[in-house]
Amino acid sequence: MKKSGRFIFQKYDTENLINRRAALVTIAKAGVFSVLAGRLAYLQIAENSNYKKLSDKNRITHRFLEPERGIIFDLQGRPMAINKQKYEIIIIKEETRDVERSLSNLKSLLPHVNIDVENILKEVNSRKKFLPIGIVDDLTWEDFSKVNVNIHKLEGIYPQIGFKRYYTQGESHSHLIGYVSPISKSEEESNPLSKLSTAKAGKIGVEKAKDTILRGKLGNKNIEVNASGREIRELDRVNSVQGNYIQLTIDSELQKFCYERLKGLSGSVSVINVKNGEFYALASSPSYDPNIFSKSISNETWEILLSNKYKPLINKSISNQYPPGSTIKPFVALAALESGVSHKETLFCNGKHLIEDTSLDSGYKTFHCWKKEGHGNVDMKEAIKVSCDVYFYQIARRIGINKIAEVCKRYGLGEKVFKSFYEEKSGVVPNKQWKLENLGSRWMVGETLSAGIGQGYFLTTTAQLSLALAQLINNGNKLNPKLVYDNEIPSVYDERLIADPKYLKIIKNALDEATNAPGGTSYRSRIIGKYKMAGKTGTSQVRAISIKEREEGLIKNKDLPWEKRDHGLFIGYGPTTDPKYAVSVIVEHGGSGSGSAAPIASDIFKYLFEKKINLKRNEIFNV
Amino acid sequence: MYNQNNIYSTAFAKLQSINYPLLGLIITLFLVGLAALYSISNGDFNSWPLKHSQRFILGLIIFFILVFFDLRLIFGYAYVIFFLSIISLVIIPFFGIESNGATRWINIAGISLQPSEFVKYTLILALAKYFHSINNDSGFIKTLIIPLIITVVPVFLVITQPDLGTALIILLGGISLFWISGLNYKYFIVGVFSILCSLPLLWQYLKDYQKDRVLTFFNPERDPLGNGYHIMQSKIALGSGGIFGKGYMEGTQSHLNFLPEMQTDFIFTMLGEEFGFIGTLLLLLIYAALIMISIRLALKSRSLFSKYLSLGICNVFFIYVFVNIGMVTGLLPVVGVPLPFISYGGSSMLAVMFGFGLLMNCYINRDIIIEKTNY
Repeated sequence: MKKSGRFIFQKYDTENLINRRAALVTIAKAGVFSVLAGRLAYLQIAENSNYKKLSDKNRITHRFLEPERGIIFDLQGRPMAINKQKYEIIIIKEETRDVERSLSNLKSLLPHVNIDVENILKEVNSRKKFLPIGIVDDLTWEDFSKVNVNIHKLEGIYPQIGFKRYYTQGESHSHLIGYVSPISKSEEESNPLSKLSTAKAGKIGVEKAKDTILRGKLGNKNIEVNASGREIRELDRVNSVQGNYIQLTIDSELQKFCYERLKGLSGSVSVINVKNGEFYALASSPSYDPNIFSKSISNETWEILLSNKYKPLINKSISNQYPPGSTIKPFVALAALESGVSHKETLFCNGKHLIEDTSLDSGYKTFHCWKKEGHGNVDMKEAIKVSCDVYFYQIARRIGINKIAEVCKRYGLGEKVFKSFYEEKSGVVPNKQWKLENLGSRWMVGETLSAGIGQGYFLTTTAQLSLALAQLINNGNKLNPKLVYDNEIPSVYDERLIADPKYLKIIKNALDEATNAPGGTSYRSRIIGKYKMAGKTGTSQVRAISIKEREEGLIKNKDLPWEKRDHGLFIGYGPTTDPKYAVSVIVEHGGSGSGSAAPIASDIFKYLFEKKINLKRNEIFNV
Repeated sequence: MYNQNNIYSTAFAKLQSINYPLLGLIITLFLVGLAALYSISNGDFNSWPLKHSQRFILGLIIFFILVFFDLRLIFGYAYVIFFLSIISLVIIPFFGIESNGATRWINIAGISLQPSEFVKYTLILALAKYFHSINNDSGFIKTLIIPLIITVVPVFLVITQPDLGTALIILLGGISLFWISGLNYKYFIVGVFSILCSLPLLWQYLKDYQKDRVLTFFNPERDPLGNGYHIMQSKIALGSGGIFGKGYMEGTQSHLNFLPEMQTDFIFTMLGEEFGFIGTLLLLLIYAALIMISIRLALKSRSLFSKYLSLGICNVFFIYVFVNIGMVTGLLPVVGVPLPFISYGGSSMLAVMFGFGLLMNCYINRDIIIEKTNY
């Protein structure tokens, strides 16, 4: 029994046994404590820097601060686009353990707010890490405080105060100023504000064209948060910088008047200062309320706007192109004068002009004057006054398309007026080379005739026409078209566009008669009083008139469906004695220039003359 | 038998013979706990720190009452005390208070107590008496099977609560006494081997959350947001404390609530964050000193019962400290064991004072010889 290993319990020599075994246990305990001490040394000394980082990552969160967008003023210093405070909610996926649970908690907290969980999840998973994603854009104060109170249940979700754009002028300015909406994926690379998912960017109009000026600079701050994401204190901050303000040359009162005058019609108006190229109004109708875009717009509303046949989303003053029709005639006449045609020379108009065309059975192609019975003998002044087509067919044929195109281009047709507007169209001034390059075929004589009366391939915009007229009227001085004051380019160039000042006299005289002499195309819209306007009407066809229809008698515009009616155009300037303004009006499918466009221009001039509004820049200081 | 004078002089003698360094260390640990709780409650003494103090004072009363008891009386009632504690475990399923899916507490006179905390010590008491009483020539059943049953019954009862951590401490405490009292080491080898073999079988009896904890322990990345979160945050808190710590009441992990259960099981972590490696090492040394003194005192007793009891209590205390610190440093799975004297918790405080009261009693009465009884 004494041999070790045979006993169950050793019950002899217990003193020694206990000491021995207790010693062993003590050694084991010392060993375990050493392991613990070693482990603590490893965690707290060796791995300290690692865990320090993790601890900071836990408690410190980086937040970008949204900059306030620059304000847009009008000529008089009236704010047209401002910022309002709004309450919004964002989510950061990496700061929540369960995105879906956080979102469903939010949803049950705000049952009446539309939260599209599926879409948000998609967005959250596709965006960069730690990028805050907006959940609700514009919240009431009550809901906002509800979220704040229940923040502990909403891991990763943060309520914050942001800015929303507000347009004081509403729909009268919407095309011009544009609107902002969330930065799209394609803009992410170029826009530093994209680090903030709630930030917006200009999408169209001045908001887009001048976005880099208006957007401002992001600020940022480091905050300490607790485990439930509540902000405990701010550690440091770099404030955001508000975007620069912009002052437009537009007078919002005039713009509003122009827009109101277009109400019920589909068309556009452009008003320009002939002395310095500043645009006072650029209105387009119908329009939309730009403030609907500061909230996320519903698909339904968007669809309605898109499918409307009057195209309310399009800025018709720069983005729609129309054949200039007879409004081109002053420029064709100018080209003729430069080509040595005497303004005294008379040409006979019997209502039509024939040119040889072997492809037709008759061997001739007929070009009609708008007046079936013809104008008889007309000289240049008369031809402009009564808008005789046959005169211009013959003139155009004589001087050729290239000369016409050269003069038109010189005055700014076929070229964008405002370089920075991406939605602007350049129009088309066709010539032989253009046709070869773009259509791949040779120029035909008949096309010169069409171009002579502003039809065929000719396309212009409302803004272009007003600028072209302004540059002509202002003694042919080249202007720098201006919409935004940016102190960069001189408003008037020391460059004469007109070959001989006496040509201008002839054209001006003709335009004056066209409006202010009986028989002139816009005589009905003349202004009686101290100040007068002068201008040229235009009616551009949107359909080909068949021979059959011509024989049976033309269908009156008012009997045609809206889409088939002619566009009505008018370009004019005033006062005739000392021209200050040039106006162009295009009424889509308005029937005729004299019937639809000229009365509008007349009203605008009356407004300009009678109201005597001081169209002088009111400079902005201390924004 | 005694006259008044005698009683007083005896009591005074007993007070004099208390080992004050040990008591001093206990009070030191309590003060560390008090400081930790004061920090966690952000300087509000009236919440956790106050209650912690009240419990400690109650613990001290228990300690001193136990000190004055006659050791023979304790020996005599050892089984009864053990039996009572077992009864309290048995009635838990019927009268217990449920919390977090486990029923561990009973309400006695308005105070919630966790009987399993006390069973750690009463088991030692019972086993010490038993091993004291067996003879050299006792048979296999008497010497091994019966004490094993005594050990397994409370372990089983605690597992069903369910409270795996406490059950393991009870088991380890009991087994340590088998070792101290001289069980042939071959049985330990066989025991360890058979436990290893039966692990897969035991696995099936674990609750899901317990399985999770064990799995997460072996692979914390498995569940970084659930169970792994606690371990991870605990390691971050300790690690970010560095050598000198972030400063008292400056811990970000604890004060910003990243640290779970910081007033109870993870209080060591919180101290580590605020006082750094210097702090944790110092705390570890205090515990080591307390254990060393306990062992020294235990070995001074003349009776086997005293030695067994003291060493057993010392072992239980050591296991407590080891499991808790091992758990918060990521060396052991999270099993929910408080840090004695420091963690906020009434039962743990009273139980550990009960244990040290017994230990001190053994030391004061070290010269008393106790006769063997018939078990």
